[in-house]
Amino acid sequence: MRFSTFSYSSLGKKIYMAILGLLLVSFVTVHLIGNLALLSPDKDTFNKYSHFLTHDIGGIILVAEILIFAFFFFHFLYALVVQWNNWKARPIGYKKVKNAGGASKKTIMSTTMIYTGLIIIIWLVIHLLNFKYGEEVMYTTKDGMLIRDLYATVTGYFSNIWNVIFYDVVMILLALHLSHGFWSAFQSLGLNGPRFMKFIRGFGYLYAIVLGAGFVFIPVWVYLTIGGAR
Amino acid sequence: MENNNLTIKLKVWRQENAGAKGKFVDYTIDDVNPDMSFLEMLDELNEELIKKDDLPIEFDNDCREGICGMCGMVINGTAHGPKSGTTTCEVRMRQFKDGETILIEPWRARPFPVIKDLVVDRSAFDRIMVAGGYIDVKTGSAPDAHTVLVPKENADLAMDMAACIGCGACVAACPNASASLFVGAKVSQFALLPQGQPEATKRVEAMVAQMDEEGFGACSNHGECEAVCPKNISILAIARMRREYWKASVH
Amino acid sequence: MKLDSKIPGGPLAEKWDKHKFDMKVVNPKNKRKFTVLVVGTGLAGASAAASMAELGYHVKSFCIQDSPRRAHSIGAQGGINAAKNYPNDGDSIWRLFYDTIKGGDYRSREANVYRLAQVSNNIIDQTVAQGVPYQREYGGLLANRSFGGALVSRTFYARGQTGQQLLLGAYSALMAQVHSGMVEILPRREMVELVMINDQARGIIVRNLINGEFERYVGDAVVLATGGYAQVYFLSTNAMNSNASAIWRAHKKGALFGNPCYVQIHPTCIPRSGDYQSKLTLMSESLRNDGRVWVPKKKGDKRPPNEIPEDERDYYLERKYPTFGNMVPRDVASRNAKMVCDEGRGVGKTGLAVYLDFRDAIKEFGREVIEEKYGNLFEMYKMITDEDGYQVPMRIYPAPHYTMGGLWVDYNLMSTIPGLHVIGEANFSDHGANRLGASALMQGLADGYFVLPYTIGNYLGGTKLEKVSTDHEAFKEAEAEAKAKYDKLLSIKGSKTVKEFHQEIGSIMWNYVGMSRNAEGLKKALEEIPRLREEFWQNVKIAGSEDSLNKNLEFAGRVADYLEFGELMAQDALHREESCGGHFREEHQTEEGEALRDDENFTYVAAWEFKGLGKKWELHKEPLEFENVTLTQRSYK
Repeated sequence: MRFSTFSYSSLGKKIYMAILGLLLVSFVTVHLIGNLALLSPDKDTFNKYSHFLTHDIGGIILVAEILIFAFFFFHFLYALVVQWNNWKARPIGYKKVKNAGGASKKTIMSTTMIYTGLIIIIWLVIHLLNFKYGEEVMYTTKDGMLIRDLYATVTGYFSNIWNVIFYDVVMILLALHLSHGFWSAFQSLGLNGPRFMKFIRGFGYLYAIVLGAGFVFIPVWVYLTIGGAR
Repeated sequence: MENNNLTIKLKVWRQENAGAKGKFVDYTIDDVNPDMSFLEMLDELNEELIKKDDLPIEFDNDCREGICGMCGMVINGTAHGPKSGTTTCEVRMRQFKDGETILIEPWRARPFPVIKDLVVDRSAFDRIMVAGGYIDVKTGSAPDAHTVLVPKENADLAMDMAACIGCGACVAACPNASASLFVGAKVSQFALLPQGQPEATKRVEAMVAQMDEEGFGACSNHGECEAVCPKNISILAIARMRREYWKASVH
Repeated sequence: MKLDSKIPGGPLAEKWDKHKFDMKVVNPKNKRKFTVLVVGTGLAGASAAASMAELGYHVKSFCIQDSPRRAHSIGAQGGINAAKNYPNDGDSIWRLFYDTIKGGDYRSREANVYRLAQVSNNIIDQTVAQGVPYQREYGGLLANRSFGGALVSRTFYARGQTGQQLLLGAYSALMAQVHSGMVEILPRREMVELVMINDQARGIIVRNLINGEFERYVGDAVVLATGGYAQVYFLSTNAMNSNASAIWRAHKKGALFGNPCYVQIHPTCIPRSGDYQSKLTLMSESLRNDGRVWVPKKKGDKRPPNEIPEDERDYYLERKYPTFGNMVPRDVASRNAKMVCDEGRGVGKTGLAVYLDFRDAIKEFGREVIEEKYGNLFEMYKMITDEDGYQVPMRIYPAPHYTMGGLWVDYNLMSTIPGLHVIGEANFSDHGANRLGASALMQGLADGYFVLPYTIGNYLGGTKLEKVSTDHEAFKEAEAEAKAKYDKLLSIKGSKTVKEFHQEIGSIMWNYVGMSRNAEGLKKALEEIPRLREEFWQNVKIAGSEDSLNKNLEFAGRVADYLEFGELMAQDALHREESCGGHFREEHQTEEGEALRDDENFTYVAAWEFKGLGKKWELHKEPLEFENVTLTQRSYK
């Protein structure tokens, strides 16, 4: 089969989306683990981690950033193309649609992937502007390094309850997105079987809950312990 | 004699021909015996319509025992009606309540244009089969049936896949109007059998290409297809098709 | 007209091979100059179209449904016979041949049936190679079961969907030939006329069912594979669109009709529940392996079945046939059910049903075993009747199922019209007066894969065929004739619907030309049918117009044909003063009430020639010669 045939086919596109999706899953997993540094009472922990990523690993970070950007970009681009074709496939809709139940895996999550995805992408831009490209305040750590105080930017941001709510709502949407996306990626790759299906769907839900809870918890914790609530 | 007969209100999609604009038309039909099949209820309504010099509702049907795949309507928002594992012709009126309004719509998908009323054109399925839904074995050239052994487990699974009746409910129910279950079932049937191996890569590539060409949507793993499939074909058929597609991609 | 069956000479076992050698072979380069029109895409039609296309003929394949895959061969459940002898239980081509001849009550051709048994094995090979997922043993070999009372296990099966799987195999072969450009599929087309030029079948007129247009197709030969005529009874196990119109219109153009009175009534169908009923559903007769058939001893006993004590039940099959019991052949089981119902001992609301009771089987083997064997059938029964067959006995009643009669064909499967070939259920050939279980699939595929592709070459290679086009006068005439018929139908604008007429002809046929017949009833039918036909042409009410999809009009055309055909059936049944297989004449029975053949006077095929409506058909006899088997009376005591 020609590479272009594969890439332009409906199956190929979904396979690409699945691979990109799983790469993004690993990114957000690492991201969450990194974020846990915010829970440390010592702000140096988080800031040093941040400094390590941005300065100490050299060119790798640039490559990683470009890749992650590409993952997001193409995952979303394919989603748009696929969704557009899907809409075109049914020009006249039904007057009434009822979930068939039984073996169906259709949920509010599975039918809103394009919307949750869109919101996450928009939010992502805001997220980057707030933090990565946010105000750069420098400070000296206890061991005398002059580095950026991203901790202050983050805690400052989450001292506003509305920012916490906005962030958490998006994180809940991310969890919903993943609750369908995680197992669905395996199915799209063809990596599924009668027993594996049960496992991967269960695992997918568990993963979405744990990841979502982690992301939701951190700003709340920050708000309660450091930010506006104190 | 006791009379449990029902009065049923219908809201039926009527469309004169492929180009015409359709609309829902309301009907009321009294004295519906609960033992009637859904299509017999429509037969009765049609008899009334004919007698009133009205046009009967056109709908495809043939065997009326759930095997030919000719019938198909979306009944109250579900393809082939409320019960799983059945075709439209197997729906019985006792599944409905007295006085209930039943909404009847045709299969909706761009590759399944409406011909008239509830009759749609499913020849896209045939064209997908033409692209590669076969094992090329000329008449008379087959070796003795016992030359090639097939593990029972695979033969049984292949039978599960081969049970597809080509009714199109999977497309009708899919939020994306995808034909993946139909294609996946056929690809899987042959992929599970040794006889299907020589053409395996060519087959999956050709059938998928034709499926896309016809304008079906992509599969987003909603699984509605499996839920409405009269033969309960699992979406694992779609996973297997994707594995076959991978294999073909490196071929 | 002299009927020539063209049966080759020589010993039985060598006839087909010798014939294959003697037949003309068309040069491969010349094959592509020929076009064959195949009407119908069931097992016979699809397999023939695909096989002929593989040989190099151009094929146009027509079907009435939206796809070739929907033909009613799909409804066959049980299996397909072949003489493979895989189970090592003593089966052979000879035994399959013998069983089929005997099962057909000695009213079929030896040579045809032997050929059928010979090619049966090739069918299994072919379909396995196509990917038909037959049931297999754990070692990976094919499984067999005993079916329809056969003493050997020779039936191959794919769950309860053998017909569907075999049809999908033939359909996929057909699709492969569409891919290669040798076959053109023309779905949603109904054949309405046969076109004859120089007394040869050279084309057909079809009605495009979507836009109502009449279309002309020219070919060098025409093949009818349009199935049987059981829908003449209105209620049958056939599909709604199954019909007799193609063979009937060919018959009116000169093709002789063979043995129209031979109809198979299947004993284990779900009884009808009301006038609205549109079709009857068959349950596999394997149910009779464990179910016991009974009715109350008392007439009009309306007690619920479970309240009727053992000594007030009449297990009439076990009583009358101690050896075979509930497993007697289809015709015997059906007839006995009718007899007890006629006595007033029928059960259910309508009194037209007998019980099929699993109580004892469940007691003996446990519910699980029964569920495993027949679970899907119990489910189907529950879905249709809302009754639980595990708790209360099932109700069953016979229903028309298969028609052994059909257009007369010679050994080459060609009718009396040169170039018009007829295969599968549409012809009369291989089943005699009664068909054995799992033999219909075998015959359809034998005709399509392994017989017609050879014999059609003999015709095409040995016949002078003038070059003609659809502009020929004969096409214009045939089209005008067809159009006039539909115009006429729509112009009547009477007050009775097509369905009402269909129900009426159906009930005449069922009452007088059904499971058991007598001269008085048949004469009555011969009076009533022409009367009903006349009324139809004056008072039928058809909705809609000709120029769009109009099922009501399609059905009107078919019912009009039943109103003619039914008369021929009755005439054939009246003339055959004997009982054989599916044809039971009450005047001809043994003292115990069994079918009594008259071999001296009726060992022939009755082939009827159409002489014009209102006139009697002319009988032509093809004597049946039995050189290899001895005729015996069937006994299942």
